[in-house]
Amino acid sequence: MDTIYIKKLLSLFFFIFTISPLLNLAEAIDAQKLLKEVDDNLWSNTKFISGRLIIDNGRKVRTLTQDSWMEGVERSYSHYKSPAREKGTKMLKLKGKLWIYTPRTNRKILIAGHLLRQSMMGSDLSYEDMMEDHKLSQSYIATFDRIQSIKEVKYTILNLVARDKKTTYQTRRVWINPKDKTILQEERFAKTGKLLKKILFKDYESIDDRIFPRTMIFKDLLKKNTQTTYKFDVIKFDLDIPDHYFSISILRR
Amino acid sequence: MNWDIAKKNFFRQGLRASLNVFVTAFSIIALIFMLSLLNGFQAQATRNVVNTDVGGGHYIAPGFDILSPTEWEDHTVKIPKSLSQLDDKDKAEVLVQQGQLYPNRRLYPVQIRGISMNQSLLKLPLDNLFNFQKPIEDLIPAVIGAKMAKKTHLNKGDILTLKWRDKSGAVDAKDILIIDVGDMLNPRVDDGVVWLRLDHLRFLTDRAEEVSWVAVRNYVGPILGFEYQSVELLMADLLSLWRQDRINSKILWAILMVLVCISVFNTQILNIFKRQKEIGTLMALGMEPKRIVRIFTLEGGLAAFWALFVAILLGLPFFIWFHSVGFDVSHLSESTLPIRETIYPDYQPLEIIYSLVIVFVLIVTAAWLPVKKITKMNPTMALRGRAIK
Repeated sequence: MDTIYIKKLLSLFFFIFTISPLLNLAEAIDAQKLLKEVDDNLWSNTKFISGRLIIDNGRKVRTLTQDSWMEGVERSYSHYKSPAREKGTKMLKLKGKLWIYTPRTNRKILIAGHLLRQSMMGSDLSYEDMMEDHKLSQSYIATFDRIQSIKEVKYTILNLVARDKKTTYQTRRVWINPKDKTILQEERFAKTGKLLKKILFKDYESIDDRIFPRTMIFKDLLKKNTQTTYKFDVIKFDLDIPDHYFSISILRR
Repeated sequence: MNWDIAKKNFFRQGLRASLNVFVTAFSIIALIFMLSLLNGFQAQATRNVVNTDVGGGHYIAPGFDILSPTEWEDHTVKIPKSLSQLDDKDKAEVLVQQGQLYPNRRLYPVQIRGISMNQSLLKLPLDNLFNFQKPIEDLIPAVIGAKMAKKTHLNKGDILTLKWRDKSGAVDAKDILIIDVGDMLNPRVDDGVVWLRLDHLRFLTDRAEEVSWVAVRNYVGPILGFEYQSVELLMADLLSLWRQDRINSKILWAILMVLVCISVFNTQILNIFKRQKEIGTLMALGMEPKRIVRIFTLEGGLAAFWALFVAILLGLPFFIWFHSVGFDVSHLSESTLPIRETIYPDYQPLEIIYSLVIVFVLIVTAAWLPVKKITKMNPTMALRGRAIK
């Protein structure tokens, strides 16, 4: 009887001893706080990006160059510089609406509602994805999933669940490096849990006291052999953007 | 007396008269065939659209427009009691949503159409969907049309991903199982359409009891919150096409008649020219020119009469035979016309009688026009064969 009792006691000690580091780790990682720190690193009130959008549809690769000015979550303006076919195209996002101006037609078109869900210029991004610029920590509730080592770096995987049922992607999963508060990759899921999109963040560099990725690769996992790479050639944070950049009057030739 | 002379003269013409009779008879057969085939085609196509989509009209959600896919999600409403209480054989509830299908992992925009499984108003090949009883946790059962299957290279048993949005706008996706590829007959409910069970689609999109429209057998009066669209309105494009077809058939009809009339006209001119001496003799013997005109016109009329007789003799067995075998139009499966079967001619007795009367009148007129100049003929010159130069 005593032997059995001692065995049980030893098993309990052994269990507590083995699981306690994991419990300690989970307690140590405040998922929501970590997500907020990631947002703080990536986020700024205003931003300017001059970059390239490389669209690979599996048969052909197209490169679009653009300049974008962003202010908060509700205002952004993009100007496409090449190729010749897209040159002069302008996109203006004001609150939930997106206007597109094309020099060929010399007209501005309002992209709203369900049109926002269409693929943007044949890329793996929808207009909605492109417009999306909200803070993850504000839109999602984060919970700790596990730790994963990739190339000797321990990444914290967080599961994000949308606070609002109107949010396009109800669940996401992010791989975060807790040391420098950077994201390695992000997965976006359908409501049913089907994996839809994968975003890889690459080429991190220190810019204005932030560690910011120079490259983002979007993959629509429902499509075969397609990916869209967004390369940021020039990035500026917290700059003054003239107010007329976010006015409909800018959508002219 | 006139009749006897005309009859003798007509039979004396021999080959010339019989050629005239046969040309006219074949034209009449072609005319009736063309009209009946067009009738059959239009009737079958209309029936297909009514049976598979339109029913006796639609009660649609306000603002819903099938031609504005980006707004389908904005125009769905809960079905009112007055419509839900209708018998299943008198109504079909339909919910339409935008979707994206990924055959072979390529994007293919589709219309997701959910239909109540108990309805018997619309005749659609969805029996396998009705009989599918498994829960939809893993796979959603779907049916597509043959045309859609051909375009997307999909077959029965294939599994692929379908993406859609729920009522709140959240993106959702799941694998669907193609449980059947049905012959829809109507491209409107085939091309780019994925059929789901209404209860499944409502569950997937959080739209309990909602519909985009309700197809009904008969108009049941105005219903608050719904707009009624009649069969004529729903089929406006098709009916307009039919009207244009009718105009085109009339042009063909006119061309055929012109050919027949030219043939009769030509024969009559030749008759007068060759029979100048006969006309001159009749005039010299005291026959009034008007009577001679009547005799010649009667000869033309006889040609028309015999043409009708031959047309009945040859046409009747042909029409009976053709009605049994029909006209295979499977090649139209690639078109957007709502027909993909054998067309059977639709003989409309009244239309045939009208056509025959018009043909008869035209032939008699074509026979009379050239001979009326007999009234102005100089008998002396006619006797010498020089009245017409």
